[in-house]
Formats: sequence, structure tokens, C-alpha cells
Amino acid sequence: MKETEPSNNEREFLLQALKDGHRIDGRKFYDFRTLRLSFGSEFGAVEVQLGNTRVLAKVSCEVVRPYTDKPTEGFVHFNTEMSPMASSTFEIGKQTNEEILVSRLIEKALRRSRAIDTEGLCIVAGEKVWSVRVDIHFLDHDGNLVDAACIAAITALMHFRRPEIVVDNGEVTLLSIEEANPVPLSIYHIPICVSFAFFNKGQHVIVDPTYLEEQVKEGDMTMTLNIHKEVCALSKAGGISLEMDQILQCTRIAVVKVTELTEQIQAALDADAKKRNISRRK
Amino acid sequence: MARLDKSRTSSHQLRPFFTSQNLLNRADGSAQFDFGGTSVLCSVVGPAEVKIRDEKLDKATLEVLARPLVGVPGVKDKTIEQNIRETLEPLVLSGLHPRTLLQIVVQTMQDDGCVQSTAFNATMLALIDAGVPLNSILGSVTCMIDRKTNQVLLDPTREELAQAKSTHVFVFDNKAPPAQSKGDEDDVVMEDGDRVEGHVLFCESTGVFTEAEYFECYQVCYKGVQTVHGFLRTAVQKKFEKEHQQLQD
Repeated sequence: MKETEPSNNEREFLLQALKDGHRIDGRKFYDFRTLRLSFGSEFGAVEVQLGNTRVLAKVSCEVVRPYTDKPTEGFVHFNTEMSPMASSTFEIGKQTNEEILVSRLIEKALRRSRAIDTEGLCIVAGEKVWSVRVDIHFLDHDGNLVDAACIAAITALMHFRRPEIVVDNGEVTLLSIEEANPVPLSIYHIPICVSFAFFNKGQHVIVDPTYLEEQVKEGDMTMTLNIHKEVCALSKAGGISLEMDQILQCTRIAVVKVTELTEQIQAALDADAKKRNISRRK
Repeated sequence: MARLDKSRTSSHQLRPFFTSQNLLNRADGSAQFDFGGTSVLCSVVGPAEVKIRDEKLDKATLEVLARPLVGVPGVKDKTIEQNIRETLEPLVLSGLHPRTLLQIVVQTMQDDGCVQSTAFNATMLALIDAGVPLNSILGSVTCMIDRKTNQVLLDPTREELAQAKSTHVFVFDNKAPPAQSKGDEDDVVMEDGDRVEGHVLFCESTGVFTEAEYFECYQVCYKGVQTVHGFLRTAVQKKFEKEHQQLQD
């Protein structure tokens, strides 16, 4: 189904509000919407709600043979196919531009920034490695799918435990949860995406745009940072041109946001670990 | 006889239900339905614009998409899609919205057995939430026959399903059983007054079983579905009460 453009009234109202220093949902310019994380009964299942945007991430793993040129490296795959559940503009088997952009950003943010230790996924070099798969399901689209998906994916990876293994003379045995405590993945850092939208020729910068704001925006930029103030990825695909100062200012905003979000994620994971009565490796 | 699922004492006991309706913002109707550890989310969009290829001149086109929790949709999901679509087609009064599309997306959120039954129930609640005209309400449960004990277990978990000789998915509508109805022509009156009879909308059995076992499953599921119907009714009622209250505030 075709996307319906917002009406002129809606558009003008939003832009006028921004000029007066307001956003139509009552947030400040640099505020994120309320983030809610809920964990499933199994390890590695997380549902993220960012305002009305909902994303479900599920991590699973299997044992596979590694590539011959990288015998000690495991795999991490991301599946970000969007179903019409999120928005009827998405169609099965027909990728929209937005969809491609989101999946590339997630790949860049999590895989190419080497957040997950792929060498730690090796079982027997050249023979057996773990292949970790992250399925990201977009349930509801109210803007800023990238940030929500990124939070969902990294939280799910941190929540996930793979079964313990015993290697005996090249013979690999998987132990069930009853036999041995499952092992968390080793994660080097937590990359978090922060998306910005620009209005009125770049005069107004907002964080975490809603669907309506995304439709009206003149340009956007997504920054991926971690808590150590390291920039992992930066994506500015088109839209209006920005001054260098603006980008630096965005980085400063992003640092604050990333710290807040990381703390929230850690707190949610700690609370869940306490409920399950397991210790969490920091 | 003890079950593998330690939280239940009887073989004909269902897991606790949970439902949440109207939880998605972009869809016209949505509902989540849980059978214990199994959870399915369903969204409904419609009546909407239909592709000319799929357009039907006298009624709405039903499109069902089933999405698995892990991996890309496969044969299993296509089967669920087809089962849901074909069961719903006579139920939805699609003649009221000709040349439109009714799109249903079913997403598994957690899998602990009986996904298909959970999907049926979630779809029903989502359709009600979207305000799609229906001629009756369906309810679904799954049962299985244990390989070792030959016992019929209602609403099995994934662990229990691994021990199954056969599994049976039943969908019944909510029309009154003939014992209470005034003898409509299409109701089959049973000679045995104790046996209840409902309209089967859908039934899928896999595995090896005898005729007697099949009818036992049928009876067990029919009784189970009455609880589901009661629950669906209460869920919808509560939702409308809440909406009504919000309107008055």
C-alpha cells in the first residue's frame, strides 16, 4: 500500500511548533521517548517499546562449519525483514529503501563495529563454530526504527546465553540447561544508535523523531556511539547539508543520550537477572 | 497421571490465558494471545486498497501472513497462513466490503507448543478489535496423544509434544450446542444426550491414531474450547467496558 503523505495542515502545525520551541508530543528537542524493555521467558528474547514504536528481537544459535579462510571466526547474522505488521507500506519480498537503510545501519552498528567477539564463538578451529542469528521483528512503526532495532538487538545479544559445550578429542557435546549453566556471549562494547532529524534548513535539530516528524523532516543523521565516547558509525544518507559545528554538537548530544540509554539497558538486564536468580557478568 | 508440565495437575487442564488488545498503533486492529509460554501477536489492516490482481468483485480479499520467531517464513508458516485464511473466509462477512483487502499478519512472539491454536485465537481477537463484521466467533485448542501412556493431553507444551504419538488442532465456532438449541435443521442431534456437539471449523491431525482416540480428542477439545470462548467473550467485554468508561471521562 502506498504511504500517505501528511496533510499541509499537519506539516505546517509541526513546523510552526518547532519554531516556537515545541514538539507536538510535548517532548523537548533532545528528549528520547520512554524506553520500555521486556524480556521473554527464554534467553535472548527482548521486546523494545520506544513510545509507540515496537521491536522484538530474538537471538538463536547453531553450530556450523566456518569459512576456510577464517577458521576461528564464528558468525553473527542479522535478519531485519519488515512485515506489513509494522506499517502496511512494507510488503513481503519487496524491500523498501527505508528497509535497506535500516538493515545496513544495524549491520554497521553492531557487526562492523566488532561489538561481538566472533573469535569467542569458535568451538574447534576450522571445524565447528557458533553461528548466532538475531531476528529483528518490527511490530509497530512510529518513527525511529533504527534506534529501537539497535537497542533491541544489542539488549537481546547481552541477554542471550548459548548452551555450554564439552570438547573431547574433537567430539563436541552440547549440554542442556539442566546439565550446565548456559554461557553469555562476550561483548566488547555496547553500540547505541541515536537518530537526529533536521528541520527549517538545519535550524532545528531533534532527537528520536516520530513517524510524522520523519515524514516532514528535511534531513536526518544517525550516530552510533558507545559509552566510552567512541563513534562506531555515522550515517547521513542525503537530506540537507550540515555545518561541521552541527555535527559536533550532535555528537555531544549523542554522548549524553548513549550514557542514559546504556544505563537503562544495564538496569533492565540486572533486574531480569535478579528475577531469574543468575549472576550477570559485567 | 502426572504431566511433564509440572504446573498442571490434570491432563485436560489448559495453560493460563492472557490477552491484550489494541496494542499496535499503526494497525486497524491488533491482539496478542498467550497460552502459557506461547504467545502470538496478530495485526489486522482493512478494508484497504487491494492489488488489481487480487481484487474480487463481490467480496473482500483475505490475505494472511504468518511470521516465525526465528528465521525466514517456511513451509510450516505457509501452512498456518493457508489454514487461517481458509477457516476465516466463511466466517468474515466479506461481501460487505467488496473490492477491498483485509490483511492479517500473525507474528509468533514465544513458542512453547500449540502456536497454530494460539494464532487462531489471536487472529479472532484482532478481527474483533478491527471491527471486521463476522458471523461467528472461533476458538481453538490443541491436544495430543502420548506415545507411551496413550493419554489425551490438552494444550501440550513443546516438551510434551516431543512425546506425542499424534497431535490434533481443533477450531470450533461459538454456536450453541444442539442440546440447548431448539433443533435447527443443520444441527446434528446426537442419540447420546451427554455428548456435546459443536461445529468444527477446522481440524488438523497428524500422527497415528484410532477412530476412538480421534473422537476422544474431539470431546476433550470441545470442552476446552468452551473455556476459550468464555475467555474471549470476557476479554472483549472488558475492552468495551474500558472504552466506554474512557468515553464518559
